[in-house]
Amino acid sequence: MIEAQLLTKRYGKTVAVNGASFAVQPGRVTGFLGPNGAGKSTTMRMILGLDTPSSGEVRVNGKPYAQLADPLRSVGALLDAKAVVGSRSAANHLKWLADSNAIDRRRVSEVLDIVGLSDVAGKRLSTFSLGMSQRLGIAAALIGDPETVMFDEPINGLDPDGILWIRNLMKSLASEGRTVFLSSHLMSEMAQTADHLLVIGRGRIIADASTDEFVNRNSVPGVRVRAVQQGELANALTQRGALVEMAPDGSMVVTGLDAAAVGGAASAHGITLIELAPQVSSLEEAFFDLTRDETDYRAGQLAGSTKGN
Amino acid sequence: MSVTTYPITPALPVRATTISRILKGEWTKLRTLPSTWRTAAFAFIFSIGAGAVLVISQANGWASMTPSQRASFDATSCSLFGIMIAAVLLGSLALRSVTAEYASGMIRSTFTAMPARRLVLAGKAAVVAAFAFPVALVSNFVAFEIGQRIFAGKHLQVTLGHPGVLGAIVFGAVAVSLIAVTGVGLGGVIRHTAGATAAMAVVIVGGVTFGQLLPAGLRGYLPGTALQAAVTVHRSPGILAPGTAIVVLGVYAAITLAAASIRAAHRDA
Repeated sequence: MIEAQLLTKRYGKTVAVNGASFAVQPGRVTGFLGPNGAGKSTTMRMILGLDTPSSGEVRVNGKPYAQLADPLRSVGALLDAKAVVGSRSAANHLKWLADSNAIDRRRVSEVLDIVGLSDVAGKRLSTFSLGMSQRLGIAAALIGDPETVMFDEPINGLDPDGILWIRNLMKSLASEGRTVFLSSHLMSEMAQTADHLLVIGRGRIIADASTDEFVNRNSVPGVRVRAVQQGELANALTQRGALVEMAPDGSMVVTGLDAAAVGGAASAHGITLIELAPQVSSLEEAFFDLTRDETDYRAGQLAGSTKGN
Repeated sequence: MSVTTYPITPALPVRATTISRILKGEWTKLRTLPSTWRTAAFAFIFSIGAGAVLVISQANGWASMTPSQRASFDATSCSLFGIMIAAVLLGSLALRSVTAEYASGMIRSTFTAMPARRLVLAGKAAVVAAFAFPVALVSNFVAFEIGQRIFAGKHLQVTLGHPGVLGAIVFGAVAVSLIAVTGVGLGGVIRHTAGATAAMAVVIVGGVTFGQLLPAGLRGYLPGTALQAAVTVHRSPGILAPGTAIVVLGVYAAITLAAASIRAAHRDA
């Protein structure tokens, strides 16, 4: 359980996190979604007591992080998998973590097993690939068998097998009743992994909803249609209660009627169709639309670029 | 907002357990770095070697020394000359125990596992000082024994039983430990290995070189000269008594460590 109340972080004039209030509940995977630079990592650092909030507060399992006794037994976190001293071995890296929180050393080989690194336990971390480092970071997060786990962009650098593995691991951790909080800038990834979404843009929480609800709310089904008699078709569809928008390529995007109803309307009026295609706006688009106004840096539209039809 | 309560591991009396866990974690960190043992071996070999080289040159030069040079001759400090090298090497090991974590970003894992940042720095200092002490102590004993055997050829040797000799050997090791604590402090303040190492070198060797520019009364209080004073038995004017030298080195250690603590506690990691 992670609870933030009006959590704010300013760096000089820049507001990295702006009055964020949310609760990350146990027993489900909560995705923390936002474009790069939206404030995800800053929020996570404040949760872990690494950065001090400018105002507001955040509690983990009911306490400010610094007041947790043996914090690794309550919260496991992976922020930056490559942030390790390279001349130490994987097992030794986990051993100091265990020792610092009075965790039984046997747990070291257990978590190495869980993440599939037992064979390279004695290897220096500087020889690890990013994917192996991510697995080690996850092992480190699990060392204290914590009730809350938190991962910052855990799928970066993983191959498809690794991504599938992480996805299943997150789900199984949640099914054991743990609080699972993971950040990503990839909507499609979150849609497959998270039960609940917390969307952040420019430091503000702009959505806090179950993944299904978020998808339903944000992906409006439509029908793309093009006819010889465009004007007549538009009238006919509007009369039937549809919303018709002209697309730049000369086709129309119809919402409020399905493809069969659009085809029926056309045939009733003797209109010849050139194109008729149902479409669902992708989740990625929904996410992009939602965060468009909130994104700090994005590619500006090419000035003066005019596309011919 | 509903606040769920969870069974939390019974709260242990925080401070004592926190300290013991920090010490365990930091000791595991220190001993699992190959460079720790390499540095200890280098400190041992080079400090003994440097002492032997000075002893040989002094023994060979005895015949041509002036009476005043002979009067200030100190067979003990001569054989323990290598302590400067032990201090530089173990001091650098100490500062790297901090700077390596800042450079790699692992300091965030450290502060996540052990949120009491001031205690973490103090723990690092304690662990590295405890590691440096026996290394320096054994080096001193061996360097002393080798040195005195060489001096025996010219009948210049002293024994462990001579007044101040055992003290020099032990104070020398304490002084190296305090330099290691200073290294942790410098590492925490400067946070870059190269910069902190340069500062460390200036602290120890600079006292002996640039220190010549200072009035004699102040020169004795520089870290490098205080380190030498700790192993000196025949004191010339301006050289601190070994006990005083240890206090002076302790003050340097305390100041740098305090500065590092303040910097760690008041900054986002």
